[in-house]
Amino acid sequence: MTPELIEVGRGLCYAGAGMAFGLAGAGSAWGIAIASHQAAGVMREKPELFGRMLVMIALPGTQGFYGFIAAILMMTQTGLIGGTELKITLGTGIALFFIGLGAGIALLVSAIKQGEAAAAGISLIARRPEEAGRAILFPAFVETYAVVALLATILFIVFLTQPTALQFLSIQG
Amino acid sequence: MIPRLTNDAHWGFVSGRISVLENRFMNKDFFLSLISQEHISDLIPYLQETFLKDYLTPVMAWVDSGDLTDECFSNTALSLRSECPSSLPVDMFLIQGDYLNLKNALMGRTEYPFAGVTLSQEHLLSIAGGDLSELPQAMREAEFNWETGIQPETIDIILDGAYLRHLLSMAQEINSELISKYVRFRVISYIITVLWRTLKKNQPLKKCLQYILPLSDFSSIANELAAAGNPEVWISLVDGDVGDLILDAFSMPKDEQVPGFELGVQNHLIKLAKDGKLQTAGPERVFAFLAGLQAEMQNLKLTINGRVNRIDQKVLRSRLRECYV
Repeated sequence: MTPELIEVGRGLCYAGAGMAFGLAGAGSAWGIAIASHQAAGVMREKPELFGRMLVMIALPGTQGFYGFIAAILMMTQTGLIGGTELKITLGTGIALFFIGLGAGIALLVSAIKQGEAAAAGISLIARRPEEAGRAILFPAFVETYAVVALLATILFIVFLTQPTALQFLSIQG
Repeated sequence: MIPRLTNDAHWGFVSGRISVLENRFMNKDFFLSLISQEHISDLIPYLQETFLKDYLTPVMAWVDSGDLTDECFSNTALSLRSECPSSLPVDMFLIQGDYLNLKNALMGRTEYPFAGVTLSQEHLLSIAGGDLSELPQAMREAEFNWETGIQPETIDIILDGAYLRHLLSMAQEINSELISKYVRFRVISYIITVLWRTLKKNQPLKKCLQYILPLSDFSSIANELAAAGNPEVWISLVDGDVGDLILDAFSMPKDEQVPGFELGVQNHLIKLAKDGKLQTAGPERVFAFLAGLQAEMQNLKLTINGRVNRIDQKVLRSRLRECYV
């Protein structure tokens, strides 16, 4: 494996890490904004409902953290932060790039949709404050798929950076 | 069928506020209880639960209930308007005030008490002074012969035609399936109401149409209805919900057919607007809320004035409109 190929592999890996936290962070900001607009409108009339809406507003923010976890894991597993420096093959680099991209897209979309679900839940709380407990379930269900995306990303990163996987994805075989 | 509704986060703030305001809507049972009150003083505790709560004063004169509901509606609408990304859904309700002010101006009056959004005081004053070039575009598009001047007996119908043209152009601009459906239903039902009333007075339908046309793609159906000249034939010309409402009106006594049709139309419009409640955030949410608020104010006006003037409870119940909740 030539040093150039290792460089390309590393570059792709960190580009994937960037995609993961970049897209997830953008999605979280977007989702929180959607929920916040709705909550601010409710507070215009009923400020006392802030406490019940707070969790709903914060929920789309978790995706940003998931993206951050995925990116950090990529960096630690490949030796960018601590540990032994890994010779990433081109194949591993491409795989890690698309894992980062896939995680980023899943987290971006789920954060926006969770923001919409949270806005609908906030609308329900405004009409029936006693339903706050149930209203939180709608965005919570969306969270499931963000968690699944994070778990899949962690598993892929861990397994792809094992020596056997590196050899398997190497051009030399 | 429920129209397609897409959420728009930019409307989130105003929609969130509407979610809270919707709690103040009253259902039909409330209005029936209000109607059944014997003494006027008994109405006060009921009204404390409504949108009128903030407008009630200890020395309130009951004769002003119409002004009270109008003030409550326009204040709420103007407050929402300032928080909307686009004022169009609110303006579709507030332009009614413009046309009422315009009526005053055309009659040479200089007082314009209604909350309007498109015609300034200066515009209205110059119209009152005889300068018809200041008339809104929708008014100038009317087909009738301007050289004959506007007669007092035709002023309402000319203004209604202009108002509907204005509504149609606004609905086209806002590009919403729900709003478009609502406005189109309103326009066709208005054409039928006007023609039916004219027919009852044994007046020529064609002449009546020249005051309200053109009305976009409704002009041809309006001409067909006038040519048919018989409400029983209209059912075949305007099928669907409007046709069903005409059919329902036929089952009523002759004198009550047109008012019965009008009440049916108002109830159907509220049913159409109710779909807007399914949206989390968007212009339809605002539009639907204001349609509901307008119906609520009409019901409050009807019940308060009805009780103050000792109108029979049975009559009041029969005139009650569909409620938003």
